[in-house]
Amino acid sequence: MILLQSPSRYLLQILSNRIQNLEKGVELDCQWVEFDDIRYHIQGSVKNPNVLLLSVSLPIPPPETVLFGGLPLGALEAIKAAYGVVAQILDPPRDGFNLTLKLNLSKLPPDEEHKHSLLTKIASVREVVMGAPLRAVLKQLVTRTVPSDLGKPIALVHRPNESFFLVPQADKVTVIFPMRFHDSIDTVLATSFLQEFVEARRTAGLNNAPPCLWSPSPPQELKEAFTDALSANAGFVSFVIFPRHVEGRKLDRTVWNLSTFHAYVNYHVKCSECFMHTRMRRQVESLIQVLDRAKPDSEKAKRNSPSRSFKRMSLKDGNNSLGSRSWK
Amino acid sequence: MDPATSRPAVVIDNGTGYTKLGFAGNVEPSFILPTVVAVNESFVNQTRATTKSSNWLTQHSAGVMADLDFFIGEEALTRSKSSSTYNLSYPIKHGQVHNWDAMERFWQQCIFNYLRCDPEDHYFLLTESPMTAPESREYTGEIMFETFNIPGLYIAVQPVLALAAGYTTSKCEMTGVVVDVGDGATHVVPVADGYVIGSSIKSIPIAGRDVTLFIQQLMRERGEIVPPEDSFEVARKVKEMYCYTCSDIVKEFNKHDKEPGKYIKHWRGTKPKTGAPYSCDVGYERFLGPEVFFNPEIYNSDFTTPLPDVIDKCIQSAPIDTRRALYKNIVLSGGSTMFKDFHRRLQRDIKKIVDARVLASDARFGGNVKAQPVEVNVVSHPIQRYAVWFGGSVVASTPEFFAACHTKAEYEEYGASICRTNPVFKGMY
Repeated sequence: MILLQSPSRYLLQILSNRIQNLEKGVELDCQWVEFDDIRYHIQGSVKNPNVLLLSVSLPIPPPETVLFGGLPLGALEAIKAAYGVVAQILDPPRDGFNLTLKLNLSKLPPDEEHKHSLLTKIASVREVVMGAPLRAVLKQLVTRTVPSDLGKPIALVHRPNESFFLVPQADKVTVIFPMRFHDSIDTVLATSFLQEFVEARRTAGLNNAPPCLWSPSPPQELKEAFTDALSANAGFVSFVIFPRHVEGRKLDRTVWNLSTFHAYVNYHVKCSECFMHTRMRRQVESLIQVLDRAKPDSEKAKRNSPSRSFKRMSLKDGNNSLGSRSWK
Repeated sequence: MDPATSRPAVVIDNGTGYTKLGFAGNVEPSFILPTVVAVNESFVNQTRATTKSSNWLTQHSAGVMADLDFFIGEEALTRSKSSSTYNLSYPIKHGQVHNWDAMERFWQQCIFNYLRCDPEDHYFLLTESPMTAPESREYTGEIMFETFNIPGLYIAVQPVLALAAGYTTSKCEMTGVVVDVGDGATHVVPVADGYVIGSSIKSIPIAGRDVTLFIQQLMRERGEIVPPEDSFEVARKVKEMYCYTCSDIVKEFNKHDKEPGKYIKHWRGTKPKTGAPYSCDVGYERFLGPEVFFNPEIYNSDFTTPLPDVIDKCIQSAPIDTRRALYKNIVLSGGSTMFKDFHRRLQRDIKKIVDARVLASDARFGGNVKAQPVEVNVVSHPIQRYAVWFGGSVVASTPEFFAACHTKAEYEEYGASICRTNPVFKGMY
């Protein structure tokens, strides 16, 4: 609940429903949008129930990022590595989308466990595609290959017209997020949320977590490289990723958490607003109780009668009498 | 141009029993979830009592973490079963939101964890029952605009959307009676040319949940061994899987007695505490459950008007020039109209009432004036269960929809009171 999950719940639901009812083979055509403006479209026909066409469109890239054929660097290879024979990349993709995969469900592994994990992998297609360049950089960290362009920042798209930055070094990668929010209240909340984030990192239990910094001005590394992409109303957050954060199975999680960091902050800003409202409501209720107690009796009686004019459905009474009868 | 208008709107139909949510332009909602929140409330009182203790900070942060510790939908039901720290709370009762805290959390999870969309990117279409007070509509608007920062909101009346759902399958018919039998409320709502005839709305205190309660009661009285903490859920499953509408109670009883093997079904489950398996028989309740709509006296002595009578009365109270059109298009919506042959039975019963009235008037005039027979038509379609959602999806995918929404700018200018009026029917309220 605290972290966003990588597989798309809806896509996973569609895929597993499809597999359970393969022989029924219904017509399927749905589209939906996820955070950061990633659009999905999935299509399946009655004639050929094993084949599904899954199209994904990515956020509009800002000018400083580099894309290859509309996809992030290394995405095609990552798709091939992740899905193997099950998915085939169609070229050109469906109109209006960046990537179309032809999924062949008959080629799924027969045993349930592998099947399920592969379906989950397909449902996390955005992690595979969007996270590909980030994954490549982090992998270099694990293998300790010194990147050729040491210290030169890389821009990666993560939201429409917004990017985040990687500064690869020999033994660490610095990831920098310029945080932007539309709403003024959100901006204030996000700023304090992020400062709290840095504060929380300092507590004893989180010694192994990536070091985290927040500053209102862009960090030095980025100043020369990207001058126009550096406006942020909620400051800049940077994480320093060490090899120990991307070892083995941790890599997937790190890639996902970093590539959706903005969505994560946005989610928690909304959550905080929600909880503040809860507390405000509770406060109002208790204050109203105090006021009610302070009222003289005559006034109380007066207040009660006109509120009766709005007549509710008589369901409550009906149910109550029934409840008491059935217990006799 | 607002970029949000190029994305599909989010359509959420919050019902008492189930919430239907998805994106406009699709045929089916993405998710159908039970409208329930499991909250961990163990910290709420604790933090207050011990604020003065030395480690109040840890207590405080534990309380804050407990805020995030909740589940919705099926997950909530399973969590509350497996551990006692979670309390179930049903934010909507009888079609009205009555716990706004739970509702807000429910929406939050719907948006972020189920649809996984950024609420700032999408227009929203929410639904309300025709009996909703303007205050609660304001509250909805407040939560949507303040907490989620949505760019635009449209709050539609459920029966109108249910009519709009039929709009694509045949012609553009916006006159009809919507019989909306949900889990918590049943409304019979006449709509003429898209306008709800408010004075003729009839409500019945019998809905899907009462069918479940009745089945639960029948099974208990017959002595079926069902663990008491599970019996409501079992009754609900029995209702959804086995119930059907019969044409005649007496005949149906005879049929069951003659061939019990053919009609009696078996329910198997495991006890939640011990995990021991149990099984029970499902017999007469298969047809007696839905029968509460046609013979309410078998369930409740306070309310005894059958549903067909209520529909007839509702149409009779509508303006005279709309009545024929209303009889012609009686639309079912809501999960509790999904019983097999429900529409046939309803059509037959209403037809009976109407024909009797036509005969009586013919007799009164002694054959000089012959009344034109009234056409009664109960419309049923496969998407009935989420007809309201589908209607919402149809409406929200039209380009005019975005112009009909309350926008964030309007909200900031005028406040939550904008939700009292509907931009489509300006000056109607």
